[in-house]
Amino acid sequence: MAQTTSPNPPPAARSASKSERPIGEDYLRIEEVRKEFDGFPAVAEVSLTIRKGEIFALLGASGCGKSTLLRMLAGFEKPTKGKIILDGQVMNDIPPYDQAVNMMFQSYALFPHMTVEQNVAFGPRQKGMSKAETAKRVEELLALVQMTKFAKRKPHQLSGGQQQRVALARSVATKPKLLLLDEPMGALDKKLRSLMQLELVNIIENLGVTCVMVTHDQEEAMTMAHRIAIMDSGRILQVGTPDEIYEQPSNRFTAEFIGSVNLFDGKIEEDNKDSITIRSPALESLIYVGHGVTGFEGQDVAFSLRPEKVTLSKEEPEGMHNKAQGIIEDIAYFGSHSVYHVRLPSGFKIMANFVNTQRWASERFTWNDPVWLSWGETAGVVLTS
Amino acid sequence: MSKLLRRWMPGPRWLVIAPPYLWMLLFFAIPFAIALKISFSHSLIAMPPYSDLVGWTGKDLTVTLNISNYLFLLTDSLYYSAYLSSLKIAVISTFLCLLIGYPMAYAIARMPVSTRNVALMLVILPSWTSFLIRIYAWVGILKNNGLLNNFLMWLGVIDQPLQILHTNVAVYIGIVYAYLPFMVLPLYTNLVKLDGRLLEAAYDLGARPWKVFLKITLPLSRSGIIAGSMLVMIPVVGEFVIPALLGGPDTLMIGKVLWDEFFNNRDWPVASAVATVMLILLLAPIMIFHHYESKELESKLT
Repeated sequence: MAQTTSPNPPPAARSASKSERPIGEDYLRIEEVRKEFDGFPAVAEVSLTIRKGEIFALLGASGCGKSTLLRMLAGFEKPTKGKIILDGQVMNDIPPYDQAVNMMFQSYALFPHMTVEQNVAFGPRQKGMSKAETAKRVEELLALVQMTKFAKRKPHQLSGGQQQRVALARSVATKPKLLLLDEPMGALDKKLRSLMQLELVNIIENLGVTCVMVTHDQEEAMTMAHRIAIMDSGRILQVGTPDEIYEQPSNRFTAEFIGSVNLFDGKIEEDNKDSITIRSPALESLIYVGHGVTGFEGQDVAFSLRPEKVTLSKEEPEGMHNKAQGIIEDIAYFGSHSVYHVRLPSGFKIMANFVNTQRWASERFTWNDPVWLSWGETAGVVLTS
Repeated sequence: MSKLLRRWMPGPRWLVIAPPYLWMLLFFAIPFAIALKISFSHSLIAMPPYSDLVGWTGKDLTVTLNISNYLFLLTDSLYYSAYLSSLKIAVISTFLCLLIGYPMAYAIARMPVSTRNVALMLVILPSWTSFLIRIYAWVGILKNNGLLNNFLMWLGVIDQPLQILHTNVAVYIGIVYAYLPFMVLPLYTNLVKLDGRLLEAAYDLGARPWKVFLKITLPLSRSGIIAGSMLVMIPVVGEFVIPALLGGPDTLMIGKVLWDEFFNNRDWPVASAVATVMLILLLAPIMIFHHYESKELESKLT
């Protein structure tokens, strides 16, 4: 499939394996979907387009509506309003057992009274595949997820990671058009998680199945997905590739939800064609942003600055803007880097990362040291909402 | 030495284990041993109405085991057909209880928690009235000019009363009515634990509702079905009150035969033999089943 000429260029991928994947045309369309429970909207007017072969993540805190949206895609819930269109077919009124959509459940929901083999064979058998064909398919899939040895075991005899592989094999056994993953790593411990994340992505890519996953873990979404939708209170706040979401948050919620951030509230002081300055009560100097912003002078904005984009120094940096002096109040040492919490005279605290490139570099700054903080003119993002 | 002492001295563990064993000993093992003893004796017209097994003639200690009571059970076809008919009635009524109780238990388990407790209450509530009174009430319902017949005649479905009372149909109605809670409760406890996500997973994989029930719900509720069936079948085999009150002259159940041997024929040894054989008949399938179950449980643990 050479789809490099598709109207939707593949999103900038962050890992080598993801970029190899051909991303196709629009495949799943969610149009103005709303779901109410007892009059309370769990999902409010969500519209999304997901492309063929894409791994798409719905990311949000618990109760944001992401699971409800996923359950609607699976057919377990009916939208109160709006349409779900998969491969040109409206899915709203099709019961789950007639949909070519399969879900990998959060706790896997493997059938405890069946062996691994029988679990994987369940879908194909229900869809009317012959016994011989099913056996072949099961063998193929178990080989793919490296579970051939365990074919005769029961689920409770498997480890968490093994159960997950079986669950994945089971959910793709009928070659679904759409694969749904509900908190795929939720039941695994941290070490196994990062290992399985990449493995799962590899398997899904080998199969070429379009995939929508739900997670509350941003790291998981960033590693696994091509594109991410940030959800809050039933709405989608931003859709983008992982780096877009991180580096160009379009709103306050996204900026705060993904990673850690310093947020300065302020007003636009000068609005030029290709630069603006912002005055924030937290800072003595002005914030200078080296690109134009659609706004007006005096408008309330927030300036978002990631801790790793802040430079720490003992001497005062050059220039008039984008700097502040403060006192180190806390140091969080993470080994590879340290996060310094610096208190400004205004009382505002700024987080600044410092990469520990030398073994004892962390001793350079210590508690109660006065330090200078500075950042470049394109380091931060101006948020108007 | 102290090791030996510790081994034989009752520890705190025993305080916990002892009561159920004591219970079983007092209320099952000893009475059964007595019945077993009587079953091997001769019938006498005396007080008590049976002979001693152990004799002492001054020199010889004799133990006489009289097996003629058991042989008698084999020769008289009454006992043979009473056992068979009891088992048949027990099996059929267990099956009927399952057929009625399963949907009930399933429905209760799927109710919201608040209504669930009310529904469970309704299942248990009738057993607060005396068992005997409830069975008597069925006499009033089923007799020729009883509630049911009068109602059906008023409806015009029948023009003369149906003979239900004193037939096996009445016995089945009575047994199913009386033992239904014993089927519903274990099934409910099992079904309420059923993970709804498994059902969703099955739907998701393309199984239609009926298939989901057959392939997932039913096999996963197996232990509940077995527990309920045991709780119904075992007491029904020895049931006396229901066939005595609702059954007719052709209702043959071992409980009634047992009663007649004890109180009408005053043949305690034969009655004891009847009881012993009944126990063995019930115990054998339970033991086989239990063996099979624990084997499966073991394989689950390893």
